[in-house]
Amino acid sequence: MEKVLDLARANSLWPMTFGLACCAIEMMSASMARFDIARFGAEVFRPSPRQSDLMIVSGTVTKKMAPVLITLYEQMPAPKWVIAMGNCAISGGPFVFEGQYNVIEGVDLLVPVDVYVPGCPPRPEALLEGLMKLEEKITGKRRFPGPEERW
Amino acid sequence: MVGKIKTELGAALGNIEIGEVNYRERGYHLCCEVDSGEIVKVARFFDERGFYLAAEICVDYKEYLELVYIFGNHAALCRVKVALKVDPAKPVVPTISTVFDCAYWYEREIREFFGVTFEGHPNMTYLFLHEGIDYYPLRKGQVQVSAEDKKSLGSFQPEGAEDTFCINLGPQHPSTHGVLRVVLKMDGEYIEEAEPVLGYLHRMHEKMAENRGYLQFHANTGRMDYLGAMAFNLGYVTAVERMCGIAVPDRANYVRVIATELNRLSSHLMWLGAYLADLGALTPFLYVFDDREQINDILEPVTGSRLTYAYFRFGGLYNDVDEAFVAATKAFVERMKSRFVLYEKLVTGNVIFINRTRGIGVITKERARKQAVSGPVLRAAGIAMDMRKTEPCAAYGAMDFDVPVGTRGDALDIYHVRIKEMENAVRIIEQALAGLPEGPVMAEKVPKKLKPPKGDIYHTVETPRGELGIYIVSDESDTPYRMKWRVPSFSNLMVFPELAKGNLLADTVAILGALDLVIPEIDR
Repeated sequence: MEKVLDLARANSLWPMTFGLACCAIEMMSASMARFDIARFGAEVFRPSPRQSDLMIVSGTVTKKMAPVLITLYEQMPAPKWVIAMGNCAISGGPFVFEGQYNVIEGVDLLVPVDVYVPGCPPRPEALLEGLMKLEEKITGKRRFPGPEERW
Repeated sequence: MVGKIKTELGAALGNIEIGEVNYRERGYHLCCEVDSGEIVKVARFFDERGFYLAAEICVDYKEYLELVYIFGNHAALCRVKVALKVDPAKPVVPTISTVFDCAYWYEREIREFFGVTFEGHPNMTYLFLHEGIDYYPLRKGQVQVSAEDKKSLGSFQPEGAEDTFCINLGPQHPSTHGVLRVVLKMDGEYIEEAEPVLGYLHRMHEKMAENRGYLQFHANTGRMDYLGAMAFNLGYVTAVERMCGIAVPDRANYVRVIATELNRLSSHLMWLGAYLADLGALTPFLYVFDDREQINDILEPVTGSRLTYAYFRFGGLYNDVDEAFVAATKAFVERMKSRFVLYEKLVTGNVIFINRTRGIGVITKERARKQAVSGPVLRAAGIAMDMRKTEPCAAYGAMDFDVPVGTRGDALDIYHVRIKEMENAVRIIEQALAGLPEGPVMAEKVPKKLKPPKGDIYHTVETPRGELGIYIVSDESDTPYRMKWRVPSFSNLMVFPELAKGNLLADTVAILGALDLVIPEIDR
């Protein structure tokens, strides 16, 4: 029974509209006609955390934003997942230097992250691949065969 | 104009020396140094003569803090720098927010980053920073925030009265286009007061600039304003080239214009889609992204990125354009012309759109000047000022284009101005393509590590959102001593609290959207 539910969850992820910085534009691109995130059932961007089960952290998280992000994460109903999109969300990205005072060096310090999508900003295809990976994590198998291993 | 101001200012101030500097090197015409007691008088002087306060900058020279006021004029090219020395042990200066409204915000910024207290300023709470910070970030030594200061700074606490209540618009709200938070004090459906709270995306660009080489910082410029990254690139490289006296080949200048205008188009398109989505029309969003992807397809092979470009280099370009780029741009220009007709049909005549934007958020000329508004918002208010015309950099001087202006200054006018600007951008691209010269795209012998001569510069360019001013202080080392970014969205946002007063909550989205804010640029 749980397996069937997982399949349903994986095929209809509802992301939260949570644009933080530059990556948000690529997230929007991913949801538009060319890259069409709707092919994978994840086009229902919800402005409210209570209606969504996927948080795409698309951008830099600052110390001022951190409490807001945690609140939003806690408001999401379980089961819920997090994609860290872009280098800033993964590790602070280019904004980490000696004496920095305002950037959280990785959103995984705040909330548990399921998939990391690197890039500055990642291309929409990269976000889609991240989505595939998340589906794989939920259901245990991949929707399509992955790209060929070349290296 | 410059001579007249010089004599009048000299007469008004008495025995103070007013220096005339080389505009080509410095970006301003006159400079003078005044005592802190006289700054309000100076501000009044410029206010009476129709100047606006472009920027208020603080520089920490260790022995003293220097406050720099840059005054500009909409009608003629005349820029004046007024400097003011402040004792770092006891930094107190009278406020000029009583004269220029925009200083209210500039001074709050300086207060939290440098710890300069402005006497008579009505509200000195944290604007960008969070309460946990215990030193002034942009001071050279680690200067601690004293307990007294911390108490007076404090974070902004919204409070409702008996008949009113507060609601938060943002920081997680789809129509603020990022992480802007506006606290609205409501009387029923009507807004009594709006207070923007910034800093949710403060990424320390100005601090980073002091830690990196000139070329290393270049990548940051594209991340400041990710929608108009090319214009920020252009501003930064031209500012540094101007300091170092590097001449750029013609071909590079033309390609810079093409790339910047393509980026301007994609930025305005993004605004168009997002703004209409805010107002409830989702269809245009899909159309504009179609066009945006076309632009990305053109720029990606030459620049190497889709969004956060770092295409220009000091002295030229990273990469020459090829035949395929020229052909693709020509095809795109033709296509874009037919798209304007489509947008005209889809949006311009739409009754719902007109009713939601006409007469909403009216900006008068006087208010635009006092708040140092710039870009399409300023032009919608009826002031024809465009940095591409007044201070042309790259090959803008050789281009023929109009500066569209509005008549009423409301949200509908801003829309019309932006659409016309897009049409003009297409015109500029066509001309630049026709005149694209052959030749190298990189100046010869540009050193890897640039060490500009000692001094400062205030350099401006027109970004899709307005006047970008870059103030760089060099101490002859390979890192900037201080770099201040006067960003257009920050100044444009300042006008919002005034506009929102007395409006319906639903209309705030129409006003806020029309200003076209990019939050990482405001927060820097």
